[in-house]
Amino acid sequence: MSSAPPPHAPGKRPAYEPGALLLSPVRYDPDMPRPSTTVAGVLLVFLRVLAGIFVLLELAREWDSLFGDLVRADTTADAALNDPGVRGILLAAVLGIGGILLLIDAVLGILIYRGHNWPRVLVMLFSVISISTVFTAWWVRGEEIALDGTFLSLSLDILLLLALSSRSAAAYARRNERRPEND
Amino acid sequence: MTGTRRRTYSLGIAVDWFFFVFAGLAAVWLAYLSFTESFRVGWWGLPFFIGFWVLLAYLVLPRLHRILTTVYVPDYFIGRTRTSDGLLGDPVNLALLGQGAQIEQAMRRAGWTKADPVTLASSWRIITSTLRRRSYHEAPVSPLFLFGRQQDFAYQQEVDGNPAQRHHVRFWRCPDGWLLPGGTRVDWLAAGTFDTRVGLSLFTLQVTHKIDADTDVERDHIVRTVSEADPRVRVDVIADFATGYHSRNGGGDSIRTDGDLPIIDVRAVAADAGDAVDAPAREEEATS
Repeated sequence: MSSAPPPHAPGKRPAYEPGALLLSPVRYDPDMPRPSTTVAGVLLVFLRVLAGIFVLLELAREWDSLFGDLVRADTTADAALNDPGVRGILLAAVLGIGGILLLIDAVLGILIYRGHNWPRVLVMLFSVISISTVFTAWWVRGEEIALDGTFLSLSLDILLLLALSSRSAAAYARRNERRPEND
Repeated sequence: MTGTRRRTYSLGIAVDWFFFVFAGLAAVWLAYLSFTESFRVGWWGLPFFIGFWVLLAYLVLPRLHRILTTVYVPDYFIGRTRTSDGLLGDPVNLALLGQGAQIEQAMRRAGWTKADPVTLASSWRIITSTLRRRSYHEAPVSPLFLFGRQQDFAYQQEVDGNPAQRHHVRFWRCPDGWLLPGGTRVDWLAAGTFDTRVGLSLFTLQVTHKIDADTDVERDHIVRTVSEADPRVRVDVIADFATGYHSRNGGGDSIRTDGDLPIIDVRAVAADAGDAVDAPAREEEATS
């Protein structure tokens, strides 16, 4: 074996592990097989995309009744909102933007599957923001987490974050990063 | 690209740690939610309760163990392996001298079977073979860690086609120039234990194999089978290497040992060509 000498042998070592050790880089291993955590994380991303598609379809189906409520609730509402043409354009815009976001989510999932690190961090960041928002609403305002909608999307977000933040998924995403120096 | 990556390197790991801990806390909250939810919806709460247990045992507790053991379990050699959660696992009770290929040859001649790596396919085969009550001689063993690495390979012996019981031993190659406490140089370390039954782990609440508390019996079984199968194998013993102790492994099983450490010398065994161990060879490529 021609590898570098072991980190601390044969000199004396400190009684405590230094805290910086926690930040020591992962092993450089380009041949690392894809861990199941990465696959699970990507599957959850796709599940989230599927759930998003269902939400958009539901929105399109209920679009008119949704507007009926809004317009009735606010008597000074713009008369244009009662025009079916304007509603159609609004619906197209909402569906378009939602569809693009879902598409981006799916592409990020594919990139994570292929072992890129930045989409993994980005997806986790979005999950953290979404979880924090729901948590704040639950903790501060006592908002109920209903079984049908919020609970499902929340558990998807948390499970996704668990899978993608696991050490094996992180090591896989960083498998091509070389150490700055040899220990 | 490499310049910026080098600069933000430890920052990236710090960000990973943030997500790691945040996900652990969020999972605790999710477990709490599914627990309270399971009471609210009556009998329909049963699947929620099962979901709560799966979440707790397989996602929340491992994550909490991982975070806490990183803080307080020493990372140097203390004669114990560690589980993937960082808990203390099976005791290291064997040392070996020789190449990986020689060890594998000696194990095979002694009637041991190499364990498959843990993959989706091998996991599925465990399930089907258990359901059909067929034996799966190459069933994978769970990963245990020593020197911060998963075992390089593992060997096992099945007991009368009973999937719940088996002999198994995991092997780790020592780092170069590494000496045992006390100064003896060995090439490989191994941890051999005997699975007695499938049960619920005390610490992790996971379904797992329970091991026989008297690990010395398994240690001596390995030494006996290997040395009887090949007269070229020599055995030396470091008496009282670890003073006798009582402890528990990561699964919460009791462990008893007299503390002796046999050193199996397989340097005289001729290894077959093409027997090379994959893991260390790959590591060598990566570091050179």
